[in-house]
Amino acid sequence: MRHLRFWFPVLALAVPLLLLVFLSGQFASAGVQRLVTEALIRLVFAVGLYIFVGNSGVVSFGHMAFAAIAAYATAWQTCCQMLKPITMSGLPAFLRDNTFPLLPAAITSVALAGLVAFLSGLILMRLSALGASISSLALLFILNVVYSNWESVTMGTSTIVGLPIYAKPWIVLGCAIAAIVIAYLFQVSRWGLALRATREDEVAAAACGISLYWTRLFAFTVSGLVAGLGGVLLAHFMGTVSITSFYLSLTFLIVAMLVVGGMRSLAGAVVGVTVISLVIDILRRAEAGLSIGSMQLSMPPGTQELILAGIMLLILIFRKDGIMGGREFQWRTLPDRGLSQGESSIGNQRAARSEFVSLEEPTAKRS
Amino acid sequence: MANFFQVLIDAVALGSLYALVALSIGLVFGVMRLINFAQADYVTIGAYSLVVPTASITPSLLFGALPTGLMIAAVVITVTLLALLTERIAFRPLRNSNPTTLLIASFAVSYFLQSLVMLLHGGRPKAVSIGGSLTRAVEFAGIRIPGVQLLTMGVAITLLLALVFFLKRTPIGIQLRAAAEDFQMARLLGVPANRVIAIAFSISGLLGGAISLLYVIQTGTLDIRMGMMPVVYGFFATVIGGMGSLPGAVLGGFIVGIVSVLLQTYLPVDLRAFRDAGVFGLVILILLVRPQGLIVTSAAKERV
Amino acid sequence: MEKLPHQTLEAKDIHVVFGGLRALNGVNLTLSRGGILGLIGPNGAGKTTMVNVLSGFQRPNQGRVSLDGVDVSTLSPRKIAQAGIGRSFQSARLFRDMTVEENLTVAGLGIGLSKAAATEQARDILDWISYRNGYDRRCEALSYSDERRISIARALALQPSFALLDEPASGMNDRECEQLMEIIVNIPRRFGCGVMLIEHNMQVIMGVCERIHVLDGGKSLAEGTPEHVKKDPAVLRAYLGDKARANAVI
Repeated sequence: MRHLRFWFPVLALAVPLLLLVFLSGQFASAGVQRLVTEALIRLVFAVGLYIFVGNSGVVSFGHMAFAAIAAYATAWQTCCQMLKPITMSGLPAFLRDNTFPLLPAAITSVALAGLVAFLSGLILMRLSALGASISSLALLFILNVVYSNWESVTMGTSTIVGLPIYAKPWIVLGCAIAAIVIAYLFQVSRWGLALRATREDEVAAAACGISLYWTRLFAFTVSGLVAGLGGVLLAHFMGTVSITSFYLSLTFLIVAMLVVGGMRSLAGAVVGVTVISLVIDILRRAEAGLSIGSMQLSMPPGTQELILAGIMLLILIFRKDGIMGGREFQWRTLPDRGLSQGESSIGNQRAARSEFVSLEEPTAKRS
Repeated sequence: MANFFQVLIDAVALGSLYALVALSIGLVFGVMRLINFAQADYVTIGAYSLVVPTASITPSLLFGALPTGLMIAAVVITVTLLALLTERIAFRPLRNSNPTTLLIASFAVSYFLQSLVMLLHGGRPKAVSIGGSLTRAVEFAGIRIPGVQLLTMGVAITLLLALVFFLKRTPIGIQLRAAAEDFQMARLLGVPANRVIAIAFSISGLLGGAISLLYVIQTGTLDIRMGMMPVVYGFFATVIGGMGSLPGAVLGGFIVGIVSVLLQTYLPVDLRAFRDAGVFGLVILILLVRPQGLIVTSAAKERV
Repeated sequence: MEKLPHQTLEAKDIHVVFGGLRALNGVNLTLSRGGILGLIGPNGAGKTTMVNVLSGFQRPNQGRVSLDGVDVSTLSPRKIAQAGIGRSFQSARLFRDMTVEENLTVAGLGIGLSKAAATEQARDILDWISYRNGYDRRCEALSYSDERRISIARALALQPSFALLDEPASGMNDRECEQLMEIIVNIPRRFGCGVMLIEHNMQVIMGVCERIHVLDGGKSLAEGTPEHVKKDPAVLRAYLGDKARANAVI
């Protein structure tokens, strides 16, 4: 029972995903299965970003750089043995002339992403929250410029093709659930708790003996690892790697998902991915064109982004903490006396304040 | 030697341009803790307002067809109104949110505007030619300088001086400066919040318009992300200079511009493509040494 | 700085200048383990600045702070907290989106306890201060007086040698003040630490403090037992400008 309660927030997210993959595998078309898989990969990105952004309150625009690093790393190891010496002649000999097994390739690629996250975090996490956000954007730009121009190793802006396609629904689901478990274990760990304290109040956290730098750095590294995992999955889902797919559009999409679901809880990240993926799919169909009778309606390109950005703004203005409002799905037994999850905190707060006001009368009499 | 002067003029031209961008970002940041990504789209939309919205890559001119004076006025007014509109619709409801929320909101606004441009004009780059006579080079004491470069430098420095004069000498400018350094204190002293914020946005719109014109004259192309790079450089300039410090923003702008030109000139040819990475890397290195930026304001430190 | 039960916290000749304003001007102050020192003075006397200096949030322009003779004035607030100086804040500064229990657990983690140990300690302390509104209540839903008490409890969760409490009773009614005094009086015995208390409420100060240190305009005016301080002419003069408060003192 205790275990059930502890794991409930994870189960509440994992079980529906499992059902989704199972049902789509049984009944849906290949196209729908592809959509589900793609959404699950985005889920890995979103959960990865959440680990840092959600717990620290510092937004990062740089995580797609870690995804790109891992994607290229796995491409170097697993793709196109015949062509590599020609198209990527600048690779070190052991990479250029060999092809590595998939699993070790994936693991080393994810580790490389984590290492780069750690090294860049050593610098970025010293900065103020906003300074770190802006500099994380610098990181994304740096990587983009370097990989776009490092022709002999990355093929520049051309697409690397011929990666083995192994990111099938069940494998991606496994990785998505792993990402959720990692995020959950992190947020209930001492590191997660300390990091959330810094998010709420940096000064008070310091007075509690908490190191802003190391807690942020730890989260940034874990978060970079998970983003790397997403990168590897995306590479082996598409079978191709291109630097342009790891740039601002994807960054925007993932950030929008976190905002819409609510970036202060893991459930928010997952709900955000689900909602936005649905919206995107609907819009994509509309962009492709609807035929009503003899009329051919289609939305011009750009509509999808426009609507997404609009939704994101509306959420920010009218429901700042997103759909989930910063809550997890909790196992509820008895209605507890205190503030139970999901109840309106504002109402309670107001009650508390009015209690305070009504007690002011006797205080005034004292003097 | 002549070459050196050319580089120097390039550096000053670009530096003052980035200083302008940084100043407009810094002003808005100062009064409402907002790092405004949408500044990029003010520039983009200013440029696109020159042409008629079509999917064509060689569109006919809209504001661009007006006589020079009117054209400048039309573009600048359009962008200023746009800046005020984004403030009113998107940022005012969020005024009391934390800086991270504002940052994300401006990211969303930016994406919204960018998609809007894409919707109206299509996503492909376009060619547009205005101020053609300016591309001729001017010969001066043995140095050949492209007219555009002189124009950029002249306009940027004039605007910069005008803005400095405005901030230092006019009552509204002084209020704005006070608000940028310590907004709460300024409000307590009776500085009206709505007005200073509106003025900060107007200035950022005005500068956005000017920058978009200079940009189009220089490159002759329109692109839906054309505003991004100068504005991103502007961000880094404010971060290097010290967030919340206006002199810091100008200083940072010049540093970023000069470094950028120097790298462009003196990097070996096959490394030049990596110039931007070099500039951004340098930004991060400066921050490593001075995490608070070069000029630390009291606003940057949190009070206990 | 090693974490041991330290015997004395000493501030010597502390000067702090903000711009042109001398917030502290040569203040000397000693806290000893087991004692309760009251720090009083009119608004702007430099009381909170003193707490900020002692807890490392404000580096003095001159002077030094030492724990058992070891200089700690250059340490970061975090290191000082870990070395055994806990503080509360005037505005409570709780982690609003976290539960009451988590607020205290964080302080336990800060001094290197395991999460389980820190949680257990958190519950012990909450029980000790007679907090009964649910460990799982989120801090943004707390009543004002609970907020103040949790802020004290969080400082104590650092197992400090010295706890610096910044206006813990502000905004409380008489009954709540009495409960609070009961708690503060017992802190030294229960936690084996020294307490420094900043407070405007003279009932509280006179009721719990063994010694009182009076600041005015950044300078020490007097220090001594409550009886002694009450009669000190310099103290009376400082407070006479404010009639109402003078009445409260005497």
